[in-house]
Amino acid sequence: MSRFYLNQQIPNGIIEDPDGTEAIDLTAARHEAILAARQLLANAILTGVAPLGSAFQITNEAGQILLSVPFRDALPLGFINTD
Amino acid sequence: MPHPTQSFVRNGLLSVIDAAAYAAIGPHLEPVDLPKGTVLIEAGEPFTHAHFFNSGIGSIVVSTADSQRVEAGIFGRDGLSGFGSLLGVDQCPQTTMVQVEGEGYRVSIEALRSACQQSDSLRETLLRYVHVFISQTSYTSLSNVSQSVEGRLARWLLMCHDRVTGDDIALTHEFLSIMLAVQRPSVTTALHMIEGYGFIKARRGHITIKDRDALIDFADGMYGTPEAEYRRLIGPFG
Repeated sequence: MSRFYLNQQIPNGIIEDPDGTEAIDLTAARHEAILAARQLLANAILTGVAPLGSAFQITNEAGQILLSVPFRDALPLGFINTD
Repeated sequence: MPHPTQSFVRNGLLSVIDAAAYAAIGPHLEPVDLPKGTVLIEAGEPFTHAHFFNSGIGSIVVSTADSQRVEAGIFGRDGLSGFGSLLGVDQCPQTTMVQVEGEGYRVSIEALRSACQQSDSLRETLLRYVHVFISQTSYTSLSNVSQSVEGRLARWLLMCHDRVTGDDIALTHEFLSIMLAVQRPSVTTALHMIEGYGFIKARRGHITIKDRDALIDFADGMYGTPEAEYRRLIGPFG
């Protein structure tokens, strides 16, 4: 298990994840980020207020960015027909 | 065995009961510390003791099979743990634990039951508390289905604020995520928003309430009814 931090990218900076989360590997951490993004998007839809953030930056304990997970990756395929 | 005199106790239930009711329960009260994380009632295990809090916050939690936890309700100096024992049952499917450290008194379930048999007014006061607690869980359920994460957070912060001394509350994001049944990034974001409005100041592991009235407005009617029931039926609250 390693500790990963899901920092959220917002227009003028980031909202830091203070505690981090234990995950087996980066794939598991990405899965957590996807679930968390779905919840943030669901809350944005419920309230009609755009989400503050646009992506999670997954970092390790040293603060290195390992992966960026855009919130749009959390939407189910075909969620909105953009044609 | 020395036991606390009624004028000394800060628990809201123990301090409002009449002298005869206190005489029935007082001799059985054992002072205890309530460190954070202590499990007071284990789901599916027989009740052994009830705990009357003088300070701190207790949390009643239900878990899914894959151990996702959701908070059903909180109590502090307003209440007690193990109140299922007052309803004639020997165990319950929820877990009760200490989420904000405090202190209080424990009493064995047998002594609590026998004190309730001796004093009708003790039993009635404690049962009125069970009613208030059910009101709280009802509003939690309403809030969970109708409010944004920010609105629910505002309500829960008010409920915690009622149960601590001062404006600082020691709350981790993990506890908040259980309280609100959301993942931690939703908590972090909601805290960021409410802090941006100037209602609170959030530091790691600590939240300071800066504008309680604004939080009540923001909670949009979801906060206040169970608290009013407590004042109407039991006594001073918050």
